Amino acid sequence: MTGNPEAGEVLWSPHDAAARRSLILCAAGAVLGLVIAGIGLFTAKGTRTSAVPAEDVALVNQVPLLMSDYLLQLRALYDVSLSEATPEQKKKVLDDMIHEELYVQRGVELGMQSDTIEVRAALAGAVEAQVAADAAMALPAESELHAYYDAHTEKYASEGILELEDYQVAPQSRLQPSAVAAALRHGGNPAQLDLIRTAAMKDGEEFYFAAKIHLADALYDAATRLQSGEVSEPLRLADGIHILVVKQNTHPLPRSYAEVRDKVLQDYIAEQVKILAAGNDRFLRKRADIAVARGFE
Amino acid sequence: MPIKRPRSRRSTAISAVLAIAVLAIATVALVLHVQQRRRGDALLRADPDRVLASRELRSTALAIGQPAFVRECAGCHGPRGGGDPLRTTPDLRDDEYLYGSGKPDEIEQIVLYGIRAGYSRGKNLASMPAYGRAKPYAGEAIPPLGPAEIADVTQFVLSLSGRSTDREATARGRVIYQGASGCYDCHSGDGRGDPGIGAPNLADAVWLYGDGSARSIAQSITYGRAGICPAFVTRITPLVARAIAIYVASLSHDRQS
Repeated sequence: MTGNPEAGEVLWSPHDAAARRSLILCAAGAVLGLVIAGIGLFTAKGTRTSAVPAEDVALVNQVPLLMSDYLLQLRALYDVSLSEATPEQKKKVLDDMIHEELYVQRGVELGMQSDTIEVRAALAGAVEAQVAADAAMALPAESELHAYYDAHTEKYASEGILELEDYQVAPQSRLQPSAVAAALRHGGNPAQLDLIRTAAMKDGEEFYFAAKIHLADALYDAATRLQSGEVSEPLRLADGIHILVVKQNTHPLPRSYAEVRDKVLQDYIAEQVKILAAGNDRFLRKRADIAVARGFE
Repeated sequence: MPIKRPRSRRSTAISAVLAIAVLAIATVALVLHVQQRRRGDALLRADPDRVLASRELRSTALAIGQPAFVRECAGCHGPRGGGDPLRTTPDLRDDEYLYGSGKPDEIEQIVLYGIRAGYSRGKNLASMPAYGRAKPYAGEAIPPLGPAEIADVTQFVLSLSGRSTDREATARGRVIYQGASGCYDCHSGDGRGDPGIGAPNLADAVWLYGDGSARSIAQSITYGRAGICPAFVTRITPLVARAIAIYVASLSHDRQS
């Protein structure tokens, strides 16, 4: 194949065995390359790895089934560890996982995410949950949490407690209500003052929210303004005249940061989730091509 | 015209030695990398429950897990896993587990998917309701309790560890605990909790929130509780998650053995 043309030597001669061999090898290489390319082209399944990574128990169409999920399933179904599980148990769990993965993939092929309400709801929920998970991942510094607590101390106050007696002046009473209230303040006996105790607050001390339900707004507002041991002025309402005798009124008090830190963290993260979710929503809308029919804008 | 000097024998020899040295270093690095990779793969393929019993797997796990724990978890749990009363993070060195029984695969799930961290694979089943609020629980309708009822339930809870001071209040508290308030539903009838949903044992001396006094128990009943552990599944590799789980399991395992 080598030669000097100026000296009249030919570059390639079919009579030269080495030249023939090199041509055949070259052609065989080209054919082999074409065959491999053809097989790759017509049987391609995307990029794939031949070995199952150590963190996975299997690959289904290259989608990994995680070893941690496999261990969890063994624990959940049979309460066994990997070494305690029998071959049948292992097979059952793996078969179930492969079955589920195949059906999920088939579901996506069939477009279940477009047709099935439950799948759509689960997908939307999962994306929202992912945002929540991202927010939970970024734990705030202690100073940030404390600042949040300082800005929302009323939210972390204790629940107020009320204990009182709610009296109604008897309709037939001839006593002046203000005189009755004054007598009560001096230790007068309610029965001798023509007072009837209502059923509200009969169970003793109650949290503010419960007292508000039992007393209704007008009496509740009046009661929370009184201090422990005080008697209200007569309160004229639609159902008659009421007088409140407050035994105990414990106002809501701020709770210390140490006592409520878990709640502060929860609320802080919930707020971050809202911010992230709103940002996510804006981003999705911005990049989407949304066309709304006329009249429905 | 520049004159090209022939290279001396010495410089050729130095070049050859350097090339061989670089090649040798690269080979050693490659071998070490492959060995490390193999050890990592062996750890991932092993039964997590058996890792601490194997010297080789254990040393691999702790070599990866201990620094990863300090990097990812120490901010809340402390550098040695002793917990932090202010952050209400548990002591990971004892044999008390809120979720599960301290098996490495259970810990691994928490490392990966967290507690109330937004993952459906995580621990999200229940929280302690705030019985002193108008709506104690977001998840379902539970009736609130009054201050006296909370005091009674507190006495009942104290009685589970033999510390009740009021027999009549304890009896009333038992009725509430086992009644519509639904306390028994999570903490079980005998108050020993349910590690499946993270309901703590009320009969022992370990308290995650407060000091176990009547006041701190009443606070938990009145205002509820719900701790959070982030999910690390998107932040660390499966190998690191496994290694951290083994390291955490080793904290209590080593202490007890």
